[in-house]
Amino acid sequence: MEDIKSYIESGILELYVVGDVTPGEKLQVEEMASKHPVIKAELEEIERSMELFAAVNAVEPPAQLRDRVLNSLLTNFSDDNNFPTKHPQPVKDNVIAMPAPKANNFYKYAFAACLALLIASVVTLFSVYNKLQDANTQLVALNSSNQKFSTTVRFMDRQLSIYRDTSFKVIRLKGTANLPKGLALVAFSPAKNKVVIDLADLNMPVNDKAHQYQLWAIVGKTPVSLGVFDKTDADSTVMKEMKSVEFANAFAVTREPRGGSINPTMSEMMVVGTL
Amino acid sequence: MSKRSKISLSEDELVLALRRHEKIAVEALYDMYSSSLYGVISRIITDTAVAEDVLQETFVKIWHSFASYSTEKGRLFTWMVNIARNLAIDKLRSKDFKNQNKNQELEINVTFIDEQRNTVYKPELLGIKDLVQTLKADQKEILELVYFKGYTHVEAADELGIPLGTIKTRLRMAIQQLRKHFN
Repeated sequence: MEDIKSYIESGILELYVVGDVTPGEKLQVEEMASKHPVIKAELEEIERSMELFAAVNAVEPPAQLRDRVLNSLLTNFSDDNNFPTKHPQPVKDNVIAMPAPKANNFYKYAFAACLALLIASVVTLFSVYNKLQDANTQLVALNSSNQKFSTTVRFMDRQLSIYRDTSFKVIRLKGTANLPKGLALVAFSPAKNKVVIDLADLNMPVNDKAHQYQLWAIVGKTPVSLGVFDKTDADSTVMKEMKSVEFANAFAVTREPRGGSINPTMSEMMVVGTL
Repeated sequence: MSKRSKISLSEDELVLALRRHEKIAVEALYDMYSSSLYGVISRIITDTAVAEDVLQETFVKIWHSFASYSTEKGRLFTWMVNIARNLAIDKLRSKDFKNQNKNQELEINVTFIDEQRNTVYKPELLGIKDLVQTLKADQKEILELVYFKGYTHVEAADELGIPLGTIKTRLRMAIQQLRKHFN
């Protein structure tokens, strides 16, 4: 009993009530109080005194604080685990959070649409461009074939006009020993003084760059140069008009140095034909 | 200004209602104890705005940790006032608050019962107020330091330059004196 009395008088209970004890002392006081009703009663007395003392010294907080505090408690009524213990939102806060701006999807979709349109346009443009290229190529081919065709037509027209012209005589110049299978067609119109060689039906080897063929008209015994011509690889569709001559007994073709010779090189005679 | 009638419950009723998380319990709690708690807080922290914040934090903490309160450990007010005092002292000693209020801790010479304050008028306390005035100066001083300034008895002994034992005795004597009057 003495122990309890001195424990009470030590002042530890008062310190306990004002919260000025270590955790160890706190446990000890609580244990003593639960064991000894005297101590519990003493504690109760001290607590009541201090509570009254606090009531005597009470200060009324501002009226508006009541709503603020109650709101901060009741707002979290259903979820009191999420108390903003550090900085509770003051009710008097006049900063009002603006509602989150409603997401405007229009520009997003418009942008996507534009992009899709752009891609589609590029694809279309590309394919159209390709088609145009094809068409162009075809057109060029067509053009060239058309040109070729018209050249052919012109040639044939000319060939026909010459062959149908009764004033023209067609002389077949046949191969000599130099060119047994050689053949050349020469149309001669004494009336019109015209000599035309048909390069399309020329059956002679392609001449090299150093040489050319030269057409001669044999007038009496004298060879008269009627000009040079070439035999090319490509199909020639030309009725080549040579120099004019009034009269000829025969026509002959010799192979001469490029540009032709004044007198025919007899050893190089390829074809010859008499009227 | 029309005075709203305050809600008051018995302590047992209040504890029960708080455990059930009833809305009326929160209101009753505030009406019954806010002024007593604010009396303690506002004497520790003189800045009104900060003191109001601490009062709010106190109620939040009481509400939040109410499950840890047990009637066997003592009266509800004792538990609550210790929460309030601890929060106030924490705030007072927090770095940013110290920087703002460098002179705070020097102001220990405020009058014990501050007549300028908006003290509560309670008829049942009329006589007691006068009786508190009969406390001896050294008893008032120790109560002021420990109860309203948040000093530990060790700090109080240091502050007043008297032995620890004397502090404890003086505190006990002061409370004994109050008990005489209050009972």
